[in-house]
Amino acid sequence: MSKDGVRALSLAAAGLFLLYPLWGLFVPVGRWDWAHAGAPGALATSLGLTGVALVIVVAVGTPLAFSLRTAPRPLRTLFEAIVLLSVLMPPLALGLLLALAFGPRSAVGAALLRLGIPTSNSSTAFVVTQVYASLGYYLLGATAAFDAVPQALEQSAALLGAPPAQVFWHITLPLARLGLGAAASLAWVRALGEFGAIMVTAYYPHGIPVELWVDLQDQGLPTVLPLLLIFLLCALPVPWLLRLVARSRGYA
Amino acid sequence: MLDCRLEKQRRDYRVVIELATERARVALFGPSGSGKSTVLACLAGLAVPDGGYIRWQGERWFPPALPLHRRALGYLSQHETLFPHLSVADNVLFALRDKRQGANGPWVSELRERLHLDPLWHSRPHQLSGGQARRVALARTLARQPGLVLLDEPFTGLDRPLVRELTNTLKTWQERLGFTLIAVDHDPLMLQDLCPTVIAMDEGRVIQQGSWTDLRHAPANDRLRALLDLPV
Repeated sequence: MSKDGVRALSLAAAGLFLLYPLWGLFVPVGRWDWAHAGAPGALATSLGLTGVALVIVVAVGTPLAFSLRTAPRPLRTLFEAIVLLSVLMPPLALGLLLALAFGPRSAVGAALLRLGIPTSNSSTAFVVTQVYASLGYYLLGATAAFDAVPQALEQSAALLGAPPAQVFWHITLPLARLGLGAAASLAWVRALGEFGAIMVTAYYPHGIPVELWVDLQDQGLPTVLPLLLIFLLCALPVPWLLRLVARSRGYA
Repeated sequence: MLDCRLEKQRRDYRVVIELATERARVALFGPSGSGKSTVLACLAGLAVPDGGYIRWQGERWFPPALPLHRRALGYLSQHETLFPHLSVADNVLFALRDKRQGANGPWVSELRERLHLDPLWHSRPHQLSGGQARRVALARTLARQPGLVLLDEPFTGLDRPLVRELTNTLKTWQERLGFTLIAVDHDPLMLQDLCPTVIAMDEGRVIQQGSWTDLRHAPANDRLRALLDLPV
């Protein structure tokens, strides 16, 4: 078989493997209950609050990842260890720790409550949990994206008289955009699908993952599957669009 | 005027050089690893000297090290540093403050014409051959008419006719615009064509300077003699 044939076959096999779980949507479980599966509130909660979380993650994570490039080696190593710790944290454990750290028994939680900011079962708690769950993933991807930009190009731009801000906006950022797009996609998926931590910190307002769990417990698969389908159809375009935008002015 | 004294420790030796030149074309010549590129890197700000000073037109560039973007120079190295996401036009105009006005100005028109950039103007760097990419890089280096131009083995890998053409073009522009040009290469033919004055270096030190005739007549050591292709 030719090299192209082997590649096509390998990609097809991997693609089928990744898509196979969706076959579950076609397994007979009884008549789908669309009437109870609308859950527009859960969908709006998930998409809206995840959007807010993603904006925060990108706004905070991008300059952080960029600054890591020129950070002293020990500082960078230490920070990367902290990021890895946040990424490796099991979601349920993250939720428990967040609930304790921002709960009324902690100084921070008590202070926030005094300011009228509810630290559990609120939109704020939902977004904060998502930020904690996805920031580490974004930082890992964004750091790799910035590391991949050749420093010689940035130096050339500086030698042509471009001040650091111009170098960043006109050279570094465009050259890192594919990696940043991938990192943002990953952060979106991670935040949107977060279940374990959200269950503990923000059971209310119900986002889609919690709604799926509740519906599964209370009403069974015929109600869950329509909601799952809506969830997939609404959530998938965002990472896809992020990738497309990143590629839109590609040079390769 | 460029006035400098540079000291920079390398692994096996210390580069020490004093240089004072104005509106001239000067070649730094010597065997590989003699410290030539280190001198250019220090002048450009890509490396920080361990000691000494750099002054350009009365402005102090070192110490303390002036940021790269505030040094009014053009630096062209042998490495490929065209911005891959920008067109040839955007690469060449990158250094200009007013790009629209610059693009229609006589200087950019002359760069386009003399370096045969018109057919490439809207291409991307990955579509260019090695020679075309060098011509674009040269145009970009000179676009804002820097007072000091540093060339670090700028034409390595190009065929001799193209090197000769680019060298002649550079000479013409230098004589007309009056910028100071310092070129580094291990190819004596190109350097001799381009620069009437030569500073020969070996193991970080200046071992001889003057005209190419003097250098060829009595090279300071056998390594120089071999580089000049003279019988040892």
